[in-house]
Amino acid sequence: MTIKHESQKIAQNFYTFAVLLFLVQVVVGIIAALQFMWPDFFILNFNIIRSLHINALVVWLLVGMMGATYYVVPEESETEIWSLPLAKFQFWATVAAVTAVVLGYIIMGLYPQANTLVFGTRLLNEGREYIEAPRWADILIVVSILLFLFNNFMTMLKTKKWTGIQGVLLGGLTVLALMYLPGMFYTKSMVKDQYWWWWVVHLWVEGAWEVIAGALLAFMLMKTTGVKREVVEKWMYIEVGLVMFTGILGIGHHYYWIGTPSYWLWIGGIFSSLEPVPLLIMVWDAFRTTRETRVVTNKAGLYYTVAHAIFNFVGAGLWGVIHTLPQVNKWTHGTQITTAHGHLAFYGAYVLLVLAMIYITLPAIRGVKEFNPSRAFKSFWIMTISMVFIVLTITGAGMVQTYMERLMGLDYVAVKANYNLWFWILRAVFGVGFLYGVVIFVIDYFKLGKERT
Amino acid sequence: MSNKGARNLFIFGSLFFFLIFIVLTFDTMGKLDKRAPEITEEVNAGKMAWHKYDCIGCHTIFGNGSYFAPDMTKVAEKKPKGYLKQFLMDPKAVNPKASMPKLGITSDEADKLISFLEWISKVDTNGWPPKPILAGAVGVAVKELTEGQKVYQSLGCSNCHMISGIGGTTGPDLTGVGSKRDGAWLSGHFKNPKAYVPNSAMPAYGHLNEKDLNVLTDYMVSLK
Ligand code: HEM
Ligand code: HEM
Ligand SMILES: [Fe+2]
Repeated sequence: MTIKHESQKIAQNFYTFAVLLFLVQVVVGIIAALQFMWPDFFILNFNIIRSLHINALVVWLLVGMMGATYYVVPEESETEIWSLPLAKFQFWATVAAVTAVVLGYIIMGLYPQANTLVFGTRLLNEGREYIEAPRWADILIVVSILLFLFNNFMTMLKTKKWTGIQGVLLGGLTVLALMYLPGMFYTKSMVKDQYWWWWVVHLWVEGAWEVIAGALLAFMLMKTTGVKREVVEKWMYIEVGLVMFTGILGIGHHYYWIGTPSYWLWIGGIFSSLEPVPLLIMVWDAFRTTRETRVVTNKAGLYYTVAHAIFNFVGAGLWGVIHTLPQVNKWTHGTQITTAHGHLAFYGAYVLLVLAMIYITLPAIRGVKEFNPSRAFKSFWIMTISMVFIVLTITGAGMVQTYMERLMGLDYVAVKANYNLWFWILRAVFGVGFLYGVVIFVIDYFKLGKERT
Repeated sequence: MSNKGARNLFIFGSLFFFLIFIVLTFDTMGKLDKRAPEITEEVNAGKMAWHKYDCIGCHTIFGNGSYFAPDMTKVAEKKPKGYLKQFLMDPKAVNPKASMPKLGITSDEADKLISFLEWISKVDTNGWPPKPILAGAVGVAVKELTEGQKVYQSLGCSNCHMISGIGGTTGPDLTGVGSKRDGAWLSGHFKNPKAYVPNSAMPAYGHLNEKDLNVLTDYMVSLK
């Protein structure tokens, strides 16, 4: 495995940053889990820790997707990146902006009053879940994504090879950039605030990101199994098409109880119930392609690819659909059931996606013919088993919470402190297990291709 | 289907559904103001404070946010304002077991936050959060209530206090209160809590009539 175009190596910068943030995310996740038992045990309060946990997650996945794109587009266009210096600049600008935002959160955690108003917006933290980053950082993020998109579109224009994979990939990324904008203005009404906030959150993970995943899945299947482009691309169009047809109006499952009209109960219930369909087709696609292949060039890569397809369906599809009907969501809304789904969906759909892309492209970038996949398999199993247990544990906590708090009317704090205590303990334990798997992965990432086999 | 056909279906189908979504968004935006009270400057200032302290980093509101602390959709309806204000400014002074940190919320900010939360509690949320349907099983509705229990229930004491595992954790647990306090202390405390517990955040119930006060006191004394 070798790369065809020298500039594809830039992907590695992005991967390294992503991998380090992954480590940070998980360490911080364990602190958050411990704070469920001892809220005061760390210098930073839970809200700051949680913001770091979910922002690190979103940022590292985005950075990983950017790296993957810088690899895929030259490969598909059969040419060098339009401007390598621009790509390098965009990389370092992203690192600088992310560092500044993180420092801001920490300062705000130590001195909440430092989060003052500057030009009508918050200086350090916007106080909105997932998009906590202040407005000045939003603007930097948009600029960074625009530079990134521009560079890739220019690369594509150099040879004008309009392959389906890179078209869908860049299309998804463009929608991703556009869907960041609805989170960038202030509204006086909390109802409207949440209405627009869900555009960002839902239309990202159940729209644009899922489209990107569809394109990368097609790319990975083609690279690892040698399946014909026409076939994977056709299924890709069907998958991402169904993602959009169900996912756009599926946003209604977040408009049941926030003060929006009740017709959303119908729209959200019907369309979001269909969202698992394209995810199931992706699983079938991965299995069919794999079965037809005799020579697998990259075992670890294909393994992660198929696992991504499966856990995308289980985490997003199954764990999503169980609480998506209004009749059910009425009781489970805002409980630990949501946390359980959030974890398995992000892990299956996007963590495994980026890791799969790393295992498929990194050997070529490092110029390795063959690599020993044993550490890749080991970290996969440790991470996946731990994650499944975290999710089962938290699903249990969510069921107890739904029953006792929502159905019986017991107090929130009483349920959390007494009845769910064991679940918190178990989550922290499995969290450490997950961290162990991540550490093995990180070691593998840095050693791959650099040791004798 | 050809690849080109599949591609066009994806592109134009997506645009089609997005267009429907835009139309629905316009319709929804037009209906929102009728489903909620007017937003005063005070309410908006409270919302700004909500963001400033990143309250959503621990709490949910309309069920969205973090699941570390109770939902804020109906607190303003359930908890007395005086208590809320004292709690916001210094949680552990009111309830030593509270997990919430002292964030430096000023008296003025606390007032505004409470106005904001009152606004939130009046939004038409299609009936969320739902009334607990198994509440009967917890005990209250099953047996005949005593006079004291009826007063306790009608005043909503259990929003803050717990008896035998049922009720809130905001105020002290009343399960064994009868063996700790006598009737005189209890009825005096109802009339003026701060005279008995200097930092108390409990509202005074001096306005109750003599009979209600007596049966409530008797009920408390019976909790041994
Ligand atoms: C990869 C795709 C997905 C990801 C990453 C994802 C992630 C999440 C996350 C993180 C939340 C919690 C948001 C918050 O913090 O308030 C959430 C909520 C939700 N998701 Fe997903 N999700 C995905 C796909 C789906 C699908 C396909 C469905 C339905 C079939 C679904 C149904 C829901 C529902 C109903 C909620 C609201 C839960 C509540 O009422 O509290 N999700 N999702
Ligand atoms: C060591 C492993 C981990 C632990 C112990 C952990 C712990 C936590 C905790 C305690 C929260 C706060 C939940 C709440 O508000 O009730 C949280 C939120 C979240 N975590 Fe993790 N986490 C871990 C790994 C991960 C991973 C690998 C992902 C992504 C795949 C992830 C994604 C999220 C998301 C999206 C949220 C916010 C949404 C939600 O609560 O539903 N976490 N995590
Ligand atoms: Fe959603």
